[in-house]
Amino acid sequence: MKRDDEAAIGPPTEILERWFAANGWRAFDFQREVWSAYLAGESGLVHSATGSGKTLAAWLGPLAEWVGEGGGDAAPPLRVLWITPMRALAADTALSMQRAVEGLQLPWTVGLRTGDTSSAERARQARRLPSALVTTPESLSLMLSNADARAKLSDLRLVVVDEWHELLGSKRGVMTELCIARLTRWNPRLRTWGLSATLGNIGEALDRLLAGGAGRVVEGVSDKKVVIDTLVPADIDRFPWAGHLGLAMLDPVIQAIDESRSTLVFTNVRSSAETWYQGLLEARPEWAGLIGLHHGSLDAEVRRWVEAGLKEGRLKAVVATSSLDLGVDFSPVERVLQIGSAKGVARLLQRAGRSGHAPGQSSHVTCVPSHALEFVEAAAARRKALAGRIESRRPVDRPLDLLTQHLVTVASGEGFEEADMKREVMATCAFRGLTDAEWQWALDFITRGGDALKAYPEYKKVERGEDGRYTVREPAIAKRHRMSIGTIVSDAAVNVCYRNGKRLGNVEESFIARLSPGDTFVFAGQLLEFMRVENMTAYVRPGKAGSPVIPRWDGGRCPLSSEVADGMRELLEEWTGDRSLVPPGGTRDLSPVYPEMRAVKRLLRLQQAWSRVPRRRETLVEQTQTREGHHIFFYPFEGRQVHMGLSALLAHRLGRTRAASFSLAFTDYGFELLSRERFELLPLLKGGLLSSDNLLADMLGSLNAAELSKRQFREIARVAGLVFQGYPGQPKTNRQVQATSGLLYEVFARWDPANPLLGQAEREVLERQLEFSRLTEGLRRMAASPVVIRQTHKPTPFAFPIMVGRFREKLTSEKLADRVRRMQLEFDEAAPPGGSAFGDRIENPEQGALFD
Amino acid sequence: MIDAVECVVAGERLQLLSERAVFWPAGRALFIADYHLGKAASFRKAGIPLPSGTTTENVERLERIVARTRADRIVFLGDFLHSAAGRAPRTLARFGEWREKRRALDITLVRGNHDKRAGDPPVEWKLGVTDAGGRLGPFVLNHEPGAARGGGYALAGHIHPAVRLHGEGESSVRLPCFWFGARYGVLPAFGAFTGTAVVRPKRGDQVFVIADDEVLRVA
Repeated sequence: MKRDDEAAIGPPTEILERWFAANGWRAFDFQREVWSAYLAGESGLVHSATGSGKTLAAWLGPLAEWVGEGGGDAAPPLRVLWITPMRALAADTALSMQRAVEGLQLPWTVGLRTGDTSSAERARQARRLPSALVTTPESLSLMLSNADARAKLSDLRLVVVDEWHELLGSKRGVMTELCIARLTRWNPRLRTWGLSATLGNIGEALDRLLAGGAGRVVEGVSDKKVVIDTLVPADIDRFPWAGHLGLAMLDPVIQAIDESRSTLVFTNVRSSAETWYQGLLEARPEWAGLIGLHHGSLDAEVRRWVEAGLKEGRLKAVVATSSLDLGVDFSPVERVLQIGSAKGVARLLQRAGRSGHAPGQSSHVTCVPSHALEFVEAAAARRKALAGRIESRRPVDRPLDLLTQHLVTVASGEGFEEADMKREVMATCAFRGLTDAEWQWALDFITRGGDALKAYPEYKKVERGEDGRYTVREPAIAKRHRMSIGTIVSDAAVNVCYRNGKRLGNVEESFIARLSPGDTFVFAGQLLEFMRVENMTAYVRPGKAGSPVIPRWDGGRCPLSSEVADGMRELLEEWTGDRSLVPPGGTRDLSPVYPEMRAVKRLLRLQQAWSRVPRRRETLVEQTQTREGHHIFFYPFEGRQVHMGLSALLAHRLGRTRAASFSLAFTDYGFELLSRERFELLPLLKGGLLSSDNLLADMLGSLNAAELSKRQFREIARVAGLVFQGYPGQPKTNRQVQATSGLLYEVFARWDPANPLLGQAEREVLERQLEFSRLTEGLRRMAASPVVIRQTHKPTPFAFPIMVGRFREKLTSEKLADRVRRMQLEFDEAAPPGGSAFGDRIENPEQGALFD
Repeated sequence: MIDAVECVVAGERLQLLSERAVFWPAGRALFIADYHLGKAASFRKAGIPLPSGTTTENVERLERIVARTRADRIVFLGDFLHSAAGRAPRTLARFGEWREKRRALDITLVRGNHDKRAGDPPVEWKLGVTDAGGRLGPFVLNHEPGAARGGGYALAGHIHPAVRLHGEGESSVRLPCFWFGARYGVLPAFGAFTGTAVVRPKRGDQVFVIADDEVLRVA
C-alpha cells in the first residue's frame, strides 16, 4: 500500500492509533512508550504482571516503522525474530501477530519455526523466510548452524524475547544471550526487546538481555487488584501432619469450583494433577466433559482441546501444572486454586494473574495446603506478596558446556575466527568473566577432545583450517550436532497410545518398566489397562476399575523461596506469643489476619510441648531414636535445595569424626541425618560442626560423597555432546558409542579430574542445586544464633514430615566392603534352582551389557 | 591392597581377583571377559571427547595379575576388541608393547559379538583366535552365557553382571560380580570403561561382589 501522503499525516504510530480506534480499543500508555522507544532506535524490557498488551507493545513498532519507510505491496524479508520458551506459546503468539497484520492491512507474513514445524514449511522457509518468525532458542540456534544464516538474517531489525523472566534463570537464557550476540554482531543496529512477568531483579534482567548495553525498563499495566486467601477446612483437628493429604481437601475445593464460572486448579507435579482430576470426576461425575486436565506429558491435541475449551468458557475447571503458567490469558477464568505450596511469591502472583481478566474483575488465588505446615507457608506467602517482596531469578554464570555447544553450532554454519568469536562470546553477560584458560579449554575441547597436552589424532569434531577458521567439515558430525542442540535433559519417554494409534501422551520409561500386562493406571485423565510395549510405545485400552497406579515423573521441583521462608519464621515466632516480641500496641492474636494459624494451633501446641516452636533468631535441633536408628533434625527453613546441601555437609563432617553411614532426608522446612549410632551433639557443635571455615572444601568433599556432582554431570554431558540422545523416532542409537553419563563421569573423575566440565558440574551443584550463596548465608545464621537442642521421645510434628518424605540421599565415610558385609542379596525366588532360562533374570534385558 | 577369594566351581578351585578376573591354579590360566580394548578411542572417533587413560590402566592391571598369579595362559572370553573404529594406532600399540614383553604367555581369544564386528586382533600379537565352545579342562569357553551342550561347565562374559544389595533403611548398592550357577558362570567385565547390567541370581548360585579392592561372597 503506497502512501505518498504519509509524511504529511504524522508519526508512523498514527496508523496504529487509528486501527485501535476503529476497533474501539484504547492503547495503553506503556504500549505507546515502547513504540516510540523502538522507533527511536532503543532497546528495552517490558515488565508487566499480566499478559495484557505485551505482544502488541513489541509487535506494532516494527510494523509502523515499515509503513513509515514507505511500505509497499510485497512482504518484506525477515525483520522480526520473536523468541519464545514454549512451542505451544509460539503458535498462539503467531496468531496474535497475524491478526494485527491483517487488521492493519499489511502484506507482512508471519511464520513459525519450532520442533513442531513440518518439513514442508521448513522447505518453504529455506527458500524464503517470512517477515516475522516466531521461534524457540533451540530453533534459533539451529538456524545459526547453517552457513547461509547471516545472509538470511541481514535485514533483521528486532529481536523480541518473550517470557524473559522464564528463560533468565536457565541455560536457555544463556543460549538466547549467545544467539543475540551473534545477531547483533551481524547487525549492530539490531534492537532487542524483552517481555517479562513480575521479577525481583528487573535491572539485572535488562542487563543480561542487552549485554550491558543501554536500554529502558517499561512498566506495564499494574492496576489489577489481587485477592490472596487460603482454604481452611472446618474440621481442623483431623489435619494430618505430613505427606500429601491426597484429596482431604476435595470437598472445599469442589465448593470453590462451584462458586466460580471457571477455575484453574494448579498442582506442583503431574501425578498430583492426575490424582486431583480423578478425584473431581469421581466426586462429580456430571462434570465429565466440563473439566479438563493439562500438563506437559499430554499429547498436544489433548492440550489444545483444553486450551480451546478454557478460552471459549466451556470448561468449569482445569487441573494443570506449570504447563498453563505461560501463555494467552483465558478471560473466563475467575479464580485460581493453588494445591500445595506455590513455593514463592512471584509464582503465586503469576498464577493469580491467570484469573480475573474480564473487565472490572480482580485476580483471585486461593491456596489449598496439602499438609499442616503448608498453612503457615500460605500465610507467609500472602504476607510477603502484600509487602511486594518478589523473588529474583538468578541467571546462570559461565556454563562451559553450553559454550562448547554454541561454538560447534557456529562452526557447523559459517565457521568462526578465534579472536572474533572470543570477543563476541565475552560480550554477553553470561561469559563476561570467562578466563583465558577456560576459553582455551573450550577450543581444545571441540577440536582436540581435551586439553592441549593430550593429542587424539582420531578425534574429529571442529577443525581449524589453515586460514585460521574453525569449521565442522564432516556432514555427519554437523548433522548429529544439530540433532542434539538444546539443554533440556529428560528421561527416556514412552508414548502411550490406544491400539488404533491415538496418542494420549508420554510417561517415563521407568514407570512402564514396572507394569505387567493387565495392570491399570491413570493417565491423561483416563483409566487405562496396560497391554504391551513395542518400540518405545506402550499400548493401552480402557481399564476396568481397580486400584490403578498413578505415574510419577522426575521433574524439577522449586524450593521454598527465601522471602516466603522468612515470612514463615516470622509467623512462627509471633505465634509463640513471646511478650518481648510483640511491638508496642501490637497484638498476640494472629488469627483474624491469619486464619491459617488457627488451623495449625493444635500442631504448634504439641510441637511446643514436646520440643519447641523456634524463634526467628535461634536454631532448633532435635534428637530422637526410633526403630530405624538415631535421628538428628535441623530446622533452618531455607528450602529443600539448601537443606540437601546442609545435610550432606554436616553428614560429611560427622563422618570425619568416626566411620558412619547416613541416610539424609530433607524438605523445605528442615532436614535430618539418620544413622545407626548416636552422636553427642554439644561437643561437636562446639567443635565447629556449623562453622563456615573450610566451607567450600568441605562442601565439595560432601558432594562427591553423596554423588551429587555425578548426577548434575548428566545435564552437562548431554549439553556438551558427550551423550547423544538419539535420532527422533529411533529408540536406539549407535550402541558402540553409548554410555551413561554416570559412567562418563567416572572416566573423567579418574583420568581427567581437572577437566573443566567436572568443575562445572561442581559449580552447578553448588550454585543451582544447592543455592550455595543461600546455603552459606543460612549456615552463618545458624552458627551465629543460639542453638537449642531438644531430646524428644518420638518424632515431633515438625520432624514427622521430614522423616516420611520421599527424598532421601546417602552419605557414608565407611569402607564399601564394610557396608557390603551388612547387606543382603535378594534372590529370584520364582525361578527353579539350577539352570532355568537366563534372560528373564536380567533387568532391562534389551539393554544388555552396555549400560551402567 | 589386592585381594583374592577362593571358591570351588565344577570341582575346581578358582581364585576370584578384585581386578575382575578369575585365576584357575590347576591350569595356571587366567580367565578374562569383556576387555573392550579401544572403547574410549571409538568414542573419540565419533566426536565424543574422552580422556585417555583407560587403555593404560587396563594393561597395567593385566600385568599386575599376570605377575602375581604367574599364569601361563590367558583366555579372553569375548569382546576383547570393542569396535573397528576403536582400532586406533596408539591404543593398539600400547597393548602390543605389553604383549611383546609377555610373549611367552599362551593367549586365546574366544570371539564375542563385538569382536565379530571389530575384526580379529593384529596377527603380530599371536593370539589364538577361536569361536565359542572350546574346552579347557572341565571348562567350556564361551562369550555368551548359557549351559553348554554336551556337558562341562561353561564360563562366559557378555552381560557385565552386577547385583544389587540392600541394607537397612533404603540404602542399596550396585556392584559388579562373579556369578556361578549350577552349570555355567559369568565373569564381570574387565575393561575400565564398561557399564554393568543388574542380574538376579537364584538360591544355590554362588555370587561374589567386587567392593573396591575386596571380593566378598554374598551368596
